[in-house]
Amino acid sequence: MRLRSITMGTGFRLAAVAATIVLVSILILGFGIYSTVKGALEGQVRGGIERDMADLAPLVEQAGAAALQTRSTQDLQRRFAYRLASPEGNYLSGERWLDIRKPGWTEFETADGVAREVPFDGDVLVLTERLRSGLLLSVASDITWIDGVEDSLLTQFTWALLIGIVLALGAGALIAQALLRRVDAVARTANAIIAGDLSRRIALTGSGDDFDRLAITLNAMLDRIAGLMENLRQVSNDIAHDLRTPLARLRQGLEDARARARTTDSYQEAVDRAIGEADGLLQTFSALLRIAQIEAGARRAAFRPVDLSDALQTVVEAYEPAAEDSGRRLIATITAGIVVPGDRELVVQLIANLVENALCHTPVGTDVAVSLSTDPDGSAIAAVTDNGPGIPASEREAVLRRFYRLERSRTTPGNGLGLSLAAAVVDLHRGALSLHDNQPGLKVEIRFGPVSHVHSARGCS
Amino acid sequence: MKILVIEDDNETGAYLRRGLEEHGHVVDLAANGRDGLFLAAAEAYDVMIVDRMLPGLDGLGVVKTVRGAGVRTPVLFLTTLGGVGDRVEGLEAGGDDYLVKPFAFAELLARVNALARRPPMAQIETVLKIADLEMDLIGRKVRRAGREIDLQPREFRLLEYLIRNADRVVTRTMLLENVWEFHFDPKTNIVETHVSRLRSKVDKGFEAELIETVRGSGYRLRAAA
Repeated sequence: MRLRSITMGTGFRLAAVAATIVLVSILILGFGIYSTVKGALEGQVRGGIERDMADLAPLVEQAGAAALQTRSTQDLQRRFAYRLASPEGNYLSGERWLDIRKPGWTEFETADGVAREVPFDGDVLVLTERLRSGLLLSVASDITWIDGVEDSLLTQFTWALLIGIVLALGAGALIAQALLRRVDAVARTANAIIAGDLSRRIALTGSGDDFDRLAITLNAMLDRIAGLMENLRQVSNDIAHDLRTPLARLRQGLEDARARARTTDSYQEAVDRAIGEADGLLQTFSALLRIAQIEAGARRAAFRPVDLSDALQTVVEAYEPAAEDSGRRLIATITAGIVVPGDRELVVQLIANLVENALCHTPVGTDVAVSLSTDPDGSAIAAVTDNGPGIPASEREAVLRRFYRLERSRTTPGNGLGLSLAAAVVDLHRGALSLHDNQPGLKVEIRFGPVSHVHSARGCS
Repeated sequence: MKILVIEDDNETGAYLRRGLEEHGHVVDLAANGRDGLFLAAAEAYDVMIVDRMLPGLDGLGVVKTVRGAGVRTPVLFLTTLGGVGDRVEGLEAGGDDYLVKPFAFAELLARVNALARRPPMAQIETVLKIADLEMDLIGRKVRRAGREIDLQPREFRLLEYLIRNADRVVTRTMLLENVWEFHFDPKTNIVETHVSRLRSKVDKGFEAELIETVRGSGYRLRAAA
């Protein structure tokens, strides 16, 4: 199993390819060296023979066999062997065994025993020339030693090849195993996660290599998925928890009506109450769906230039009478002509949500201010501020979560989704929503991206 | 009125038929796009109510085909999809109004009535008159019994919408969508407060009240004061 998984792996295949390349290189190199060395050595021997022949031939023309005798005695090292023959090829002088009758180069192997008198005992290279007198002169040299050199070269290359194969295979196996270990580590983590341990992450070796980089990316992906899952779990819990209460109230009301209602009027009243509860539930659901839809980000494709100033003005106008009737003041300080790319419908709902929050969760007599301006770096800043009780610093983060409600707001109408929706809309617009202490009160500030267009600044308030 | 309802959900279909018939309308019900298309082409209706998600041919396809054949019957789309994109798609396909499920029956009825009596497009009015109320759309002036009434721009739009739909019930959602372009349901009673302000300017000190509240549904401006 282990071997099979090694031989099937990418690492092994890479190692095998590398080993093959190394071996083929050794073979090509060996063959090149072998033929070059062989050629050089043979060339050297032929040169020696040719020079000797050129020396000897004129002497033999002059002095005949005597010259050969003198030459043989002079060649103390016995590097060469000579033979002189009649034009018909009959022996005249020199070595008898050197019986070559055809002019030119000849290579032959001496018969066993014959060459014992001379240090020639194997392969011999002979040059035979016909002299002007018609005599045949042969000059021979022993080339057995070249074979020896060739043999030892071949042996060395064979060894090099064998060692190369062993090393390449060994290295390949090591590389394959190292790769396999890393891949196995990733696979083990993935399997643990599949099995349910969502907190597992791929261990890093700290070398910062490709595998580490892959592991870092995968771990970041796992973190993101875990975050989303946690969010989903949270929402499911919240839905289960926050929708159960109104559903229970609805059921209770209907049960009550069946048990106690006697007149058409009291039935009607009970039905109206039930419809009210159902409407509240439907509203919560549509708010949740809307948040999910906004968070999915698909609406960004439909972004168009939105006149923020006009959108805010519309909201202020819409809420002014309601604010006044409820004993609060709605004040607008809106710079005209500020345009950003966005979704007008959502921007209007965002500001309306914030204004509604400020109107619903503050005591009578509170001033709520809506403002819009650009800051020096060109971002549009919208803010909804009030001088009510504000939100404690410790809870400012939490109020952006779905269904989160401050303890004191539990009794006021609402589903705890308003600020989550606002946060989702701001996110969609790649803006930033932040909550600040207005001392006293709450300041919700929204920073949009750079303003795409500011036209004539008409005064507006 | 003769109304064609194309709705694949049996329960919703039956509910619509019962409700509309109770209000004196004649209702044909088609359970899929093909039947609906056939009926729309074969008969003359005053209003069509079309569900967007239908088996086979969907609501958009039905309305596109019907419009392509030259049928001008007003169409109200019913849908569970409430995004801007969906609404725009529906209106571009030839729909005239859009109602997101779940809806209150009173809301549907008000919209159907508004659609059925929509004035022809070509008719451009510059002065609207109802009872002793006169509205100059160009001069942005409102007079009642010869007395000038000073209105805020949004109040002007609100009154204009009410006059254009005189004698019909106008729901809170219709007002939010058409006067403020709000496509969500505010928790605050902004419509009520605006209407009550408008009422105090238009009706206060006059004998007859023009703007009346229809309990559980919305408002109605009475033409015959």
